Amino acid sequence: MEPEQFEKEVARRSAFIYLPISLGAALLFFLAASLVGGYPPVAKIGGMVWVGLLSLIVSMPIITARVKRQAGTRVGNRQ
Amino acid sequence: MTETTFNLSLPISGMTCASCVSHVEGALKELPGVDHVVVNLATNKASLVYNPARIGLADMQRAVEDVGYGIPTAEVTLDVRGMTCASCVAHVEGALKELTGVQEAVVNLGLGTARVTYIPGAVTTSTMKRAVRDVGYEASERSDGADALDRERQAREDEIKRQGRNLIIAGSIGLIVMIGTFYDMLGPLKAIVPVFLSYKWVIGLLTTPIVFGPGRQFFTNSWRGLKHGVTDMNLLYATGIGAAYGIALINTLFPKAGFGGEGATFFESAALLTTFIILGRWLEALTRGRTSEAIRKLMKLQPKIARVIRDSKEEEIPADEVEIGDLILVRPGEAIPVDGLVSEGYSAVDESMLTGESLPVEKKAGDNVIGSTLNKTGAFKFNATRVGKDTALAQIIKLVEDAQASKAPIQKLADWVAGHFILGVHILAVLVFVFWFFLGYQRFFDPGSRFILSPYLLGEIGVFGFSLLLSVTVLVISCPCAVGLATPSAMMAGTGKAAENGVLFKGAEAIEKASKLQTIVFDKTGTLTKGEPSVTDLIANSELGVIHGESTLATPNSQLLILRLAAVAEKNSEHPLGEAIVQGAESRGLALVEAESFNSIPGHGVEAQVEGREVLLGNRKLMRERSVNFTQLMGQAEAFEADGKTVMFVAVDGQPAGLIAVADTLKEYTVEAIQRLHKLGIETAMITGDNRRTAEAIARQVGIDRVLAEVLPQDKAEEVKKLQATGKVVAMVGDGVNDAPALAQADVGMAIGSGTDVAKETGDVILIKDDIRDVVVTLEVAKATMRKVKQNLFWAFFYNTLSIPLGAGLLYPFFSLIISPELAGLLMAVSSITVTLNTLLLKGFKSSIRRDDRPQPGAGEPETRLALLAANSD
Repeated sequence: MEPEQFEKEVARRSAFIYLPISLGAALLFFLAASLVGGYPPVAKIGGMVWVGLLSLIVSMPIITARVKRQAGTRVGNRQ
Repeated sequence: MTETTFNLSLPISGMTCASCVSHVEGALKELPGVDHVVVNLATNKASLVYNPARIGLADMQRAVEDVGYGIPTAEVTLDVRGMTCASCVAHVEGALKELTGVQEAVVNLGLGTARVTYIPGAVTTSTMKRAVRDVGYEASERSDGADALDRERQAREDEIKRQGRNLIIAGSIGLIVMIGTFYDMLGPLKAIVPVFLSYKWVIGLLTTPIVFGPGRQFFTNSWRGLKHGVTDMNLLYATGIGAAYGIALINTLFPKAGFGGEGATFFESAALLTTFIILGRWLEALTRGRTSEAIRKLMKLQPKIARVIRDSKEEEIPADEVEIGDLILVRPGEAIPVDGLVSEGYSAVDESMLTGESLPVEKKAGDNVIGSTLNKTGAFKFNATRVGKDTALAQIIKLVEDAQASKAPIQKLADWVAGHFILGVHILAVLVFVFWFFLGYQRFFDPGSRFILSPYLLGEIGVFGFSLLLSVTVLVISCPCAVGLATPSAMMAGTGKAAENGVLFKGAEAIEKASKLQTIVFDKTGTLTKGEPSVTDLIANSELGVIHGESTLATPNSQLLILRLAAVAEKNSEHPLGEAIVQGAESRGLALVEAESFNSIPGHGVEAQVEGREVLLGNRKLMRERSVNFTQLMGQAEAFEADGKTVMFVAVDGQPAGLIAVADTLKEYTVEAIQRLHKLGIETAMITGDNRRTAEAIARQVGIDRVLAEVLPQDKAEEVKKLQATGKVVAMVGDGVNDAPALAQADVGMAIGSGTDVAKETGDVILIKDDIRDVVVTLEVAKATMRKVKQNLFWAFFYNTLSIPLGAGLLYPFFSLIISPELAGLLMAVSSITVTLNTLLLKGFKSSIRRDDRPQPGAGEPETRLALLAANSD
């Protein structure tokens, strides 16, 4: 497998993990805001998007690096 | 993905025949995870298919080396553009290190370079450049010498121009946005400002080109990084600017949407935040290049033209076309084009730009000249001995570049912290948002509250807008760019300053260690002393009366008579002590006739017939054997020996005539250097093969604290090790060639007096001149540099530690004040500029030695002379 293909595969597999995590965090926020009550729908949705975006930014590099490591690209001269 | 396999082509060194091929093939085939191996003797390559999940290049390298062959590595330096902070460093390093075949990658933020050690064949430079581009930066291969200088300068100027253009656009439109936003507060100025500028949609229209023009770089760079799983400060800016702009746009277009309506359209936040970040980048680009001026100055020294004499004709050719052996003519005021050996003529040459030596050095036939130094007075011809990359200047430039591209341990830590900081900041931004959304807003929000340093009220902003504002401010204010600049900028300035003083650090680690030194061990011979014996004392026997008409009373004349007779006797001797006596006589202007007869007495001395006298010269044993009674002078002889001197007894016509004491003398500045080191709180030690009594005598004269005597050359490293075992940070100062093992063992090895052939030297620090006071300069530069590093790190971390809680709204519950995103952007820019400006203060560094030196006539500051020379060579 060529390195570019490998990178694509890593990106695809990582997305399967970090997207559900971000989505989960966003839904959790929405759920919490709904349970607490008193928030206008726009605030709940806006907050959900913001939390989802930040969660994506946090989880994306961590998961991608982990998947890559597991796939073995880090094996080698740094062993 | 578990069965992922890669094709790899590995270079193999050391193969000579078909059996080598089978050895290498066998070694690689045995490795788990290697599926297919073909080794080609003609191309010296092994082609293989392997599974990276099961086997790494290190295993393959080990396997090949185990059977007696090697996998050669190469090094390349890439110019990397677009890096702005320590997290960028971590990303570029990470991207390069992840490539199969890359063994090491060291990125220098200040220089904008990445030095990569790699296995040719396993990875190419274009793959490296692509990897760097993929994480959001630009990379190109660095070339040597002036070309590199031109390209680096061009790249820097382009960056300054680009950010300057962005600043003009963002600044001028941003000013109009500000005026429009605060229209109601303009008072009498309202008369000259059109009212439509205060309309929200107009402000929005004006902000849009700022965000998508000058601000576009943050979005594109962060997206490129995100795609490859890396987050950098561009992402902080992009989320900050994007969120401020997005919410303002929604509130303008859909005021009833519930995000705070028209009262919460922070277009000016997006506009000014972009402007301030770009202002920071522009100022950084302006100032950052100045910290690497040392290299630029050195490169500028390279003369462009050489006047070569070929077929008896003068010919001007480019300096880089000079070949070894060419005869070159240099006239007064001209720079010497390459290194060489003077064959004809006489002149004084200013070498200060390379050695730091303030006085011009005399040059005559047989003397070496260094390329790029300045011929002052006469004209001379010389033969080129080193050209191109081998010249002293080229070696020094390479060494300084390597040092500046290396990383001190403290910087590795700072980079690691900053690299992980961005993720931490995003997590903090989530927490801040959640806190103010669920708790803070309901408890503390005051509609009459305002931003710090702004009359602008938060007004009717809703829970989401308020929480988002604080979350965005945290993102913007936390940028660790000052942390990233703190160490490399100071290291670059420090190594450059040291080079100006004739001190070359081989790496940033050497500076850090040199600043922590507790004990310095000096090799005695050639380091503290001149390394050659010379006559130190003359004693004439006052009781002897007259020898053949000449008085031998203890007068200066009689002492010179003794010395003259001894020198004539020793004239044909090849013994070092004899040579010292002959030199002593010659240096005192004594005429030495030929001895009528001469006889060497091995192990004892000499006897000779001089001007009709029987002269006997030698040790005590010889005098005893010849029954010459030296009882009257014995006390004096023993006193000399106690001082570590060797005593030669002189008898004339069978009578005791006098004593000549010979010793290895101290170098001119030895005592001063040791005193200055003591003032710095450094313990000094001397290591020598001499007997303890001699060694202690010399140590007493010099003021050395500790004597390591009777140490064989091969045991010097062991002695250094013993000192280190006591917990001391130890430096060894000595000859870079002879003392190599001890220099390598010490925490900091300093090779002294190496001249300009720096490439050969071992040791972490090279002192070009033969001046032991440069050890003091080394310590002072290292301490000044590390002081600057610590100051910079303090300010960078202090800024972040203080500003993050403020940005998160810590003051709000008490004072109803928050920091606006644009003020956060300005503070962030100020922190980077503060660190860079603080570093630039190092330019004023002057060692205590240079400060105390009286100015020499005609010798200006090195910088002044550098400039003069540069002007001459251009």
